[in-house]
Order: sequence, then C-alpha cells, then structure tokens
Amino acid sequence: MSEVELAAIAKSFGETEVIPPLDLRVPDGEFCVFVGPSGCGKSTLLRMIAGLEEPSAGQVRIGGRDVTREDPSDRGLAMVFQSYALYPHMTVAQNMEFGLEMAGMPREARRAEVEKAARLLKLDRFLDRKPRALSGGQRQRVAIGRAIVRQPGVFLFDEPLSNLDAELRVEMRLELARIHRQVGATMIYVTHDQVEAMTMADRIVVLREGRIEQQGPPERLYADPDTLFVAGFLGAPRMNLTPCAVTGCEGGRALVDVPALGITGLAVPLRDPAAPPPRSAILGLRPEAFAPAGQGRAATLKAEVVENTGAARYLYTATDRAIALVAEIPRGQSIGTGETLEVGVAAEDCLLFASEGPRL
Amino acid sequence: MRRAPAWSVALWGGVAVIAGLVLTPFWFVVTGSIKAPQEIIARVPTVIPESFTLQHYDKLLAASDYAGYLVNSLIVATASTALTLALAIPAGYAFFRLQFRGRGALYRTILLAYAFPSIVVLVPLFAMFARVGLVDTRAALVLVNAAFALPFAIWMLRAFFAQIPPEIEEAARLDGGPPLTVLRRILLPLIAPGIGAVAIFAFVTAWTEYVFASVLILSDARRPLPVGFAGIIGQYQVDWGLLLAGASLAILPVVLLFAAIGRWFVAGLTEGAVK
Amino acid sequence: MRRQGTLALVLLAPALALLAAVLAWPLLAGLHLSLRDARIVGTTGEFVGLANYAAVLGDHEFWRSARLSLIWVAANAALQTVLALAAALILHQRWRGVSVARTWIVLSWIVPTVVVVMIWRWLFSTSGGVVNPALMGLGLTDAPVGFFARPETAFATLVFINSWRWFPFIALMMLAGLSRIPADLYEAARVDGAGPWRRFTRITWPLLAPTLTVLLVIGTLLSFNVFDVIWLMTSGGPAGGTRTLPVLIYETAFRGYRISEAATIAVLSTVLLMAFAVFATSRLALAGEAR
Repeated sequence: MSEVELAAIAKSFGETEVIPPLDLRVPDGEFCVFVGPSGCGKSTLLRMIAGLEEPSAGQVRIGGRDVTREDPSDRGLAMVFQSYALYPHMTVAQNMEFGLEMAGMPREARRAEVEKAARLLKLDRFLDRKPRALSGGQRQRVAIGRAIVRQPGVFLFDEPLSNLDAELRVEMRLELARIHRQVGATMIYVTHDQVEAMTMADRIVVLREGRIEQQGPPERLYADPDTLFVAGFLGAPRMNLTPCAVTGCEGGRALVDVPALGITGLAVPLRDPAAPPPRSAILGLRPEAFAPAGQGRAATLKAEVVENTGAARYLYTATDRAIALVAEIPRGQSIGTGETLEVGVAAEDCLLFASEGPRL
Repeated sequence: MRRAPAWSVALWGGVAVIAGLVLTPFWFVVTGSIKAPQEIIARVPTVIPESFTLQHYDKLLAASDYAGYLVNSLIVATASTALTLALAIPAGYAFFRLQFRGRGALYRTILLAYAFPSIVVLVPLFAMFARVGLVDTRAALVLVNAAFALPFAIWMLRAFFAQIPPEIEEAARLDGGPPLTVLRRILLPLIAPGIGAVAIFAFVTAWTEYVFASVLILSDARRPLPVGFAGIIGQYQVDWGLLLAGASLAILPVVLLFAAIGRWFVAGLTEGAVK
Repeated sequence: MRRQGTLALVLLAPALALLAAVLAWPLLAGLHLSLRDARIVGTTGEFVGLANYAAVLGDHEFWRSARLSLIWVAANAALQTVLALAAALILHQRWRGVSVARTWIVLSWIVPTVVVVMIWRWLFSTSGGVVNPALMGLGLTDAPVGFFARPETAFATLVFINSWRWFPFIALMMLAGLSRIPADLYEAARVDGAGPWRRFTRITWPLLAPTLTVLLVIGTLLSFNVFDVIWLMTSGGPAGGTRTLPVLIYETAFRGYRISEAATIAVLSTVLLMAFAVFATSRLALAGEAR
C-alpha cells in the first residue's frame, strides 16, 4: 500500500513562504497530476515528497508511515526528472542497475530486473549504449526504466516530457498511461502543461501560489471549475472570460448583460441559488461551447483572426481588447477574416465568477 | 564562413607572432644541443643545424647524475600530484556540496593562501622540518609542493563540481547511494577532465619548483632536476652545448606528459575554472 | 545539517592540516622570529620586541626593494595581460591547428624555472646566443648588448622572461572566460551588422572584464611572489637593481644570516600582499554586487 499523505506540510525559503500549510491525500494506485503555472510550488511539493527538500513544517506519510525525516532512498519511491538526470558515464543497463546495486541486490537478479524493464520500455537493443548515443525519447525511457526496476510504491515525475517534441510527447503520454496500468503504483506527476494533466490524470490538483486551488477528476475540473483561475488554466484555447453586469436574480439564475456578446438578460444558472450575486461578474464560456445559430440566444462574432489548427478552426474577435472572444467555427462553415459568424449562446453552458475569482 | 582577407592576415600574423614567441627559444635550445661546439658559438646562429653530434648528451650524462635528478623529480612530482588530488578532491566536494558553519570564510581563507608569498615560510619551514627530521627528504618536497598546489586545486575542483547538474546527484541519492559512494561512482567520473587538469597543474607546480628544493635537499643523490641542473649550470658556466643538452632533457618529460594528456588540461580549464 | 558538518570536517581535515602545517604554522613561527634576534636557522634568539621592525623600516634597502617590487608587479601585470589577452583572442578563433596550439601554448609554463633561466641566459648571452647576433644582423647595434650588465636592462629583461613564462597560463584562463560567452551573442551581433572590432568592444570586452579583473589580481599576487627566476638569473643584481622583496628576504636569511630581520621583512611583505588581496577581493565582491 503506497498512499501518499501530506499533513499540514509547509515550506519557506528564508522569509519567503513558498507553500503555506497544505493537506493532500493521494490514494494508493492513483495517477495524480500537480498542475499550475511556474512558481506555484508544484515542484517544491514533489521534492518534499521525494525527500530532496526538507519541509519547514508538517509531515509526509507514505503507506501510512511517517517518512518526513527519512532519506530519499528509504521512502520506497522513484523519481523521473525533467532533465532525465541519467548518469552520462554509464550505459543504459548500468543506469538502470545502479539503484538495485545500492540496495544490495545480487548481480544476476539485477540483470533480470533490468532486462524485464527494458522489454517493457522497448529498450532491449540499447542496453549497452551510453545516454549521449540515445535520442531524447529513448533517454526519457531509460529514466523511466531506472525508476521502474526498483519497483517503488510511488513514482514521482517532475515535468518529464517538457524536453520532448510534440509528437514524442503524445507517444510518451500514452506509454506512461500504459505503464501505470501495468505496474499499478501510485504516480505523482508535475507539469505546467494542462493537456498532459487532462489526458493522464485520475485526479488533477491545481496549485496556485502554493495553495490547492481545486482538485478532482479532470472532467469535473474542466466542466465545473471552482474558480476563475482553474477555468482559465484548463482548456486550450482558454475559456472566454468576459465582464458582465448582473441585473437581477430569478429562480436560482442570475440575469446578466454581456457587452462582448451583445446579449442582455441571459439567465445563467448559479451554483448557490441562496447567495445573491454581486452587481458585476465575469462570464465564462468555452470556445467549443458556442451553440449553432438558432439555438439559445443569438450573437454575432466578427472574425479578426481565423486560426486553423487542422483539427479545428477558431475565430478571434477584437484581439487587441479585453473583451476579445474566441469561438470554435462549426465544421462545414467557412469564415474569412473580417467576416461574421452567427452563433447561439446557451445559458446552461455559461459559468459565472465573482471578479475576485470564486465561482458564483 | 569566410573571413575578410584583412582579418585573415591579422589572425595568421597574430598566430605567427605568438607561435614565434613561445617556440623560437625552444627551437634554438633543442637544435643547439645537437650542434657541434663551434656552431653553437658561431657569430651568426644557424636556424637549421649544420652539424650533428650527441657529444653534449654523452658528456652531460657522464659528468653528472642527471638521470638520478630526473628520477627524483619524477618521484617527487608524481607523489605531489597524488597527494594534492587526495586532499583537494574531498575538500572541493565539501566546499561545493556540504552546508556547514564558516564555509564561506574558510573558503576565502584558502583562496588567500593561493596568493601567499611562499618565500616567507622558507626559513621557519626549514627550522620546523629540521626538528622533525624531514630536511633532506623527498617527502618534505612532496608536502611543500602539495601545499602550494592545494588552494588552486580546491578552487578549480569546486568549480567543476558546481557544473554537475544537481539532478544527477539527486537521482543518485534517490537510488540510495551514500554520499561517498555517490562521490566516487557518479561525481568523480563526471569531473574526470577537471581532475586531469588539476593533476597536470599539480605536476607542473612540483616539476618546476626550485627554491624549496634547493634549501630543503642537502645531498646530491636526492636532488630533483631543477636543483641538480642549477648545480650543473654553476659548474659548467659557458659549456653551452652541455647546458643545452641538459635543458632539452629537462623539457622532454613534460613534453611527453603533455603530448599524452595535455588536451585534457585545456579542455578541463575551459570547462571549469575561472568563476 | 549536523551530519553534513561532521562529514565536511572529515573531508576537509587532511587538506587543512597540510595547509596549517606548511603555511599557517611557519607563518606564525615567522611572526615569532621577527620579534626575536635569531642569527642561525633553527634557533630563536632573544626577545627584542619591535626592534627588528624599526631596523627594517629604517633601512633604505628595504624601501628600495619595496619600490622595485611595486614596479615589478605593475610591469609584469601589464605585459602578461597584454600578451595573454592577445593569445587568448587568437586561440578563441577557429583556424586550422587551433586545438594543437591551445595545448602547446603552455610550453613555457611547464618547463622548470631553472631551464627557463638557462634558455634565456643563453639566448641573451653576449658570447654567441641568439638575440645579440640577431640585433647586430639587423644593424640595430654594433656590439653585443649586455642585457644583465645594467640594472635597468636587467630588470626589464627579467620582466620579459617572467611574463614569457606566465602569459600562456593566464591566456588559457582567459580563454576559459571567453568560451563562456555564448556564441549566439556573436551571431546576433553579426546579424546586426557589427564587424570584428565592434564585436570585440561591445561583447567580448564587457563580458570578459570580470574574468580579466580576477586574473589581474591573481597575476599581481603571483608575480609579487616570483623569486626563482630573478635569483637564478641575476641574484638580485647588478648593484641590487633586481632585488625585489622576496630576493631581499632570501638574501637576508641565507646570505646575511640575519634570520629575524628576514622574518620581519617577510611579515611586512605578507601584510602588504594580504592587504592588497583583501582590498581587491572586497572591491571585486562590491563590483559583483553592483552588477
């Protein structure tokens, strides 16, 4: 059992508090992704779990055991670094073997473990090569292999894919998901890339300035964000967040005027119908959540820029102003720069936030 | 990429001047050592030797214990290098990695020792070595040479350690290596070029040292090359042929050493060092 | 934290012990000697207080040597730095054979000092040699020049020889500094239309300046300490014209057998040098902070 539990863990560097006391439980076997912008404390959190950074206060428990004062190697975990951190002077096999050797495993048994891991990662042919003779993707695999052979209860990943090119990233994402299924260990994965978080996580923990902004399954965070920050962080292109004026309340819905869309009196559902919303708020609507013309309330978007990603096309309005909007252009419809698109806006797809951040 | 012609001329001109400055003296020394005596003192020196003789070498090796000096120097320089490395590597690691009180102050003090006027300790050191029976031993020279090479060696090694990405060491810690195992198995192989550069520095320091050897060594049989050769110079004032042969033989070992591992020295220096 | 302190002690102890035994202890012993009246190596003599200091500071030989040391340091620093900078810049370019040149430029540094002295004594010799015949061949002089016959020329020649010995080492240290300047800066400047001279003044020089300052300090300290080249070449002569402080210390101790006086001069030199080192490093630290 390798449940990871952080109890009131905190970290300060001198006077600067990087992580205020924080609690978190990652159940055994879960793939948990820490995500957030750079400087949000996600790497520090990971390094405290690894034992590479000493917490200023609080406890780290792994499998119910307090490991706060234990050496990294005694915690039953393995870590994959962003820079791979392979030992450059050792072959692939020696790299993977080193931890086992340090644990005192006999040579024959080590070999067997290394070969097993190499087969799993398709590294069999490279065992005698030095890291510099490998491609970025292969190095990444070796780093993962080095973690796997030790059969840890917990895997820690520190932005492991950010040095790979886009295609390889997708490939490795799938591979990591497969490995997680096969070894079934707890995995904690740090990234600033929300796509990685969305695609791999059982649970996402969104961090901001050392605090947990929201945690939960990816689908829920995407569809039902607690805060403006989470709404803006997950999803690409990011959610439209545009100022609106609340004119009244009616049956658990707020009536809002949205200048950017030219819509008045849109009845957006409130999370807590009992709490009266403030006069001005932020309306959130995902680019792909615009409805076809004729459904919901009608709006007209003027295309200033049209962006084609291949899989989808996006229309951007008023790119230079705060009220800019982005919308996915429905398939089969062709829009050029300067042309307009008629869309529908369904109130059910809209989210309402207070301008300080919390969801309304 | 092509250079402007004027730039090329300037570059090759500079190369020629520097090469001439460094190499010309050695050329005249080495060629001089195989010239016949009359050619050596000719009014117009010959760039290409017109005569060839090994008589100066014969005379040198017969008249003095030149080979003995060479062996002494090799022993002293090798032992000094080993001692310097044995002391500087742990110290460099400690200064680079470990947190302890007074680290900065101690490090600065050691750097200051690099600039220490060595002549200052000559007299007291002689008295001290006399008391403990180290005068006229090669061990005394090894201790002195290592001490003088040490501050620079520590400084350089620290810089090399600092260039190892911290993640490599962290990975090794996660792999369960105790600090000294990590140092030996992971870190030292990674700074091999730096260790090579420091080793060469220590060797050269010991190889070229004259003052302490001249004072601390009393018996001819234990003299290292610089002292022995100084004696020969004193004895054979104007026998230029013999002296040139001696100079050539003194140059030879370090030239061989440099031919073998000289590239490391430069690569090592340019990778680490000055910060 | 505690464990690291213990480990650090274990790792540092051998090095510190050696430095203490060979440098720090003799230095203290020298301080002790300077307050006594010792005439034979190994004896301590009577306590005489600051009498030695009064004697040394009142001796015009000391002040003359101090002045010579100052000129020696300044002249070497200037010549070495110029030669080394030129060599480093050339070795930093890409040309056929540059890697060989980078290795072998240090030839003059790896040869024993005695050999360096012997080589140059022969090259500068008035009977045969190379320099004098060359000068006469070029018609610059009629008779051989006695480079070591007059104080001024002897001093200048020694500066040249010492700088010749040390400039390659300094050049390599500069090269290390140069190679840390990112290549894309030069490429960017090239794209911006900067020629070689502009690239030097606007990129190389400002980025190399910190390294140069450090090397200038190190070079100053190193050349102050130079003893063997001078001693072997001129023994401080002619007429004391090359008797820098280290030479004076050696002469006083081993020729005059005035051990305590030598120790006094040594202490004074150390104080002088350390004051310069501390001043220079603190100025460097300040300059670093300002940047």
